[in-house]
Amino acid sequence: MKRASFWVLAVAILAVLMILGVSWGTVSLTPRAVLAALAGRGDRNAIEIVRALRLPRVALAALVGAGLGVSGAALQGSLRNALAEPYLLGVSGGAAVGAVIGVALGFSSAVALPLFAFAGAAAAIATAILIARAAGGRADPRVLLMAGVIIGAFANAAIMVVLSGAPANTMRSALWWMMGSAAGADWPQVAWLAGYTVLAGGALLWFARDIDILALGEESATALGVDAERAGRRVFLVSSLLAAATVAAAGLVGFVGLVVPHLVRAAGIRRHRALLPGAALAGAALVVLADLVARVAHPPAELPLGAVTALVGVPFFLVQLRRLS
Amino acid sequence: MIRFERVVARYPRAARAAVDDISFAAPPAQITAVVGPNGSGKSTLVRALLGMLPLVSGTIRVDGLDGATRDRRAFARRVAVVTQRESLVFPMPVREYVALGRYPHEGSWHAAGVEDERAVDNAVKLAGILPFALRSTEELSGGEWQRVRIARALAQCAPALVLDEPTTFLDIAHEMAMFELFTRLARGGTAVLLVSHQLNLVARIADRIVLLHQGRVAAAGTPNEVMRAAVLEPVYDWPLVVTRDPAVGAPALLPLRGSSH
Amino acid sequence: MASSAFVSWRALAHGHLLPGTVPFVRCARAVPVLALCVVACRAASPRRDAMSADDFGEPVARGSAATPSRIVSLMPATTELLFAIGAGPRVVGRTPWDLWSDSARRVADVGVGLRPNIEAVLAQRPDLVLLYATGENRAAAQALRAAGVAVMALRIDRLEDFRRAARLIGMAIGDSARAATVVDSVDHTLARVRSRTAGLPRPTVFWHVWDAPIITIARGSFLDELLTIAGGRNIYEDLSQPSPQVSLEDVVRRDPDVILAGPEGAARIRASATWRAVRAVREGHVLVVDTSLIGHPSVRMGEAATVLAHLLHPGVMQ
Repeated sequence: MKRASFWVLAVAILAVLMILGVSWGTVSLTPRAVLAALAGRGDRNAIEIVRALRLPRVALAALVGAGLGVSGAALQGSLRNALAEPYLLGVSGGAAVGAVIGVALGFSSAVALPLFAFAGAAAAIATAILIARAAGGRADPRVLLMAGVIIGAFANAAIMVVLSGAPANTMRSALWWMMGSAAGADWPQVAWLAGYTVLAGGALLWFARDIDILALGEESATALGVDAERAGRRVFLVSSLLAAATVAAAGLVGFVGLVVPHLVRAAGIRRHRALLPGAALAGAALVVLADLVARVAHPPAELPLGAVTALVGVPFFLVQLRRLS
Repeated sequence: MIRFERVVARYPRAARAAVDDISFAAPPAQITAVVGPNGSGKSTLVRALLGMLPLVSGTIRVDGLDGATRDRRAFARRVAVVTQRESLVFPMPVREYVALGRYPHEGSWHAAGVEDERAVDNAVKLAGILPFALRSTEELSGGEWQRVRIARALAQCAPALVLDEPTTFLDIAHEMAMFELFTRLARGGTAVLLVSHQLNLVARIADRIVLLHQGRVAAAGTPNEVMRAAVLEPVYDWPLVVTRDPAVGAPALLPLRGSSH
Repeated sequence: MASSAFVSWRALAHGHLLPGTVPFVRCARAVPVLALCVVACRAASPRRDAMSADDFGEPVARGSAATPSRIVSLMPATTELLFAIGAGPRVVGRTPWDLWSDSARRVADVGVGLRPNIEAVLAQRPDLVLLYATGENRAAAQALRAAGVAVMALRIDRLEDFRRAARLIGMAIGDSARAATVVDSVDHTLARVRSRTAGLPRPTVFWHVWDAPIITIARGSFLDELLTIAGGRNIYEDLSQPSPQVSLEDVVRRDPDVILAGPEGAARIRASATWRAVRAVREGHVLVVDTSLIGHPSVRMGEAATVLAHLLHPGVMQ
């Protein structure tokens, strides 16, 4: 695929999926009814469904996907690891623990929660990297991944322990949240996530050339004038913040950060200055689609978003793993 | 000009310094070779030069700029280093890879300018990789990859060039072509620092040789001064004779069979 | 504010959640709630009409010879029933959620009723254990029988289940007469409520059980029956499960006149931006139900129906 056509295609697909996301749902509305509702005319309930429920939800799904895609692309590049992504590295799990602690301490706003989630995410990724280093396997992507999986398991356990005394419905909510969902999106939440995404995404875009260089490895990066340790730390902190913000908004949505950068690279886009925005577009499209599937697959119930992305992500992961070995 | 002055460096938790009190310089328009047996501290010198191994004492300067500087980009504009090994996790087109060498010259938004394009073109030509400049890095043979890496260093347009075992993966023809290239670069004014264990080849092209042994300078001087059995035998701990290269008259080392011990 | 997912986290932090008494469909294995048994999966065993078999199809011993004197009751519905028919003194174990009547609180808490702790149950030296008939409790029933304890597994989801359970329990403890009296009294109250609301306009109702994910009540639950008796119409009466998960969008489409919720749930709904998409919320028709009274399909269902009728049709029960 020509690179120019990737951009046209990505934007077009995202636009189509977002339109579908607003048009389709548990409730079927005619295109005319959707348009009328968007304009604020017609049936009041249709207006509410389209404007108060679907629009913010599609927007949130797109932002979550963009954030996870960018975060995954930046982590893969800077860690030189084709299997790196926030969920598999335990970053998302760490964020979840951070969010639970934040809530337990009485912070529950859409502003503060991502910061707690971020602290958890940063702790998780730092631990994963330390474990991988101690195991002497920084060069082997699988070791880092194993460390991430262990941390993810630990995070799950920690959450379960915290919640073990909680009533059943709380437990159920926790499990629901840990599987990810864009349900319940509202505009303030969308605005905050947009803020975090633009800030962190912008910062990563600013570091994009550094990530190109970091992908060469520590020695070569240093030889080219990048302080590999500092630049690497910067990139993974900002990537973690971005992933943490998505976790705070929509729970754990796995594999998006893994799948999306590979798709964009397959379109011939290698430089991170282009790869990151490409991953944002493709990630947004993927999660909007996944959320749509989650909503319409089994009405009136909804599937967890993370379950849908995992169904796509796991086979993809296996293909990547095979390619590695 | 790369200048090592009384450099002492030690790896964390190591009992002995990996390089101990090393002083020498690689002046412009010359090829300076650093040779020595395995573990003599050759690669440690390169890591120290890159600031990846903090010095216990001494200084490494390139054109006056201390290698310990925080301004890594300024340092990278003064010296280009081709490290011993590098592998790409994410392959990319060769030309794009070579363009990464422009990193220290790029502005804060890292947009490639005319000068950058010209430098990349020039590097591609100099390194002789034009035939595969449009291929992807994953399609290259070991030798081609090595030349592409050297091209990236050339694109850095630094007045000093450090090469750590640059011809390890090359066959004779490509190895010789590379040494020709280094010679040309030196004629053009570049300070070339060549780290190699291939004494005989180095002896043919180097202006000066620094022989390392157990982290110290065992000998330094012209090839004729260093390539003497009396100097080399204790360093390599092997009986050998030095003859003359029949083609160019450079000194050549010939290890003997069997141990004297 | 954050998503509804976080609403639940916040509720956790502040320690004011639903008391865990409202039934809902099968959930995670770890769920420690007895009430959940009330409506758990219907995949268990074929229901026997025979008077003498429990809901796992096991025979129920007829009283007299070995009338149980130490009973562990692992669901609120049967605990309430036992106390109502005067067998309270024989109850030696209950779950943490069996809090009615007051004297039941003094009975030893042996832990949850779904996948119960066998050791804790046996420690009470029971001669009869009552538990909820669901696949998850099959192993426990077997283990208890193997230990020589009589087990009666009952699935009490709907009104009829309650009547049948009362008959079986009455038979087992040798006091069928009082069990029948209790059932009659419940039926009598329900009939009174039904007659009072008959002919009144029936508001459509969304019953809010939980909001992340959104759980409601449907046809499989006694709450749906109580709602009908109390003069309302459940917007999810077409779904067969006891407590399905639904989407907010679908709630908007079904457009209920009234939302019923527990105190915490009602507060969250009123504070939420997304719930304002529902007309009933915008119009202020979010009504608070006492979940501790209404949660169990047992002897207080008459009272529960009365309260519901009063909520939906103020003054009707005077």
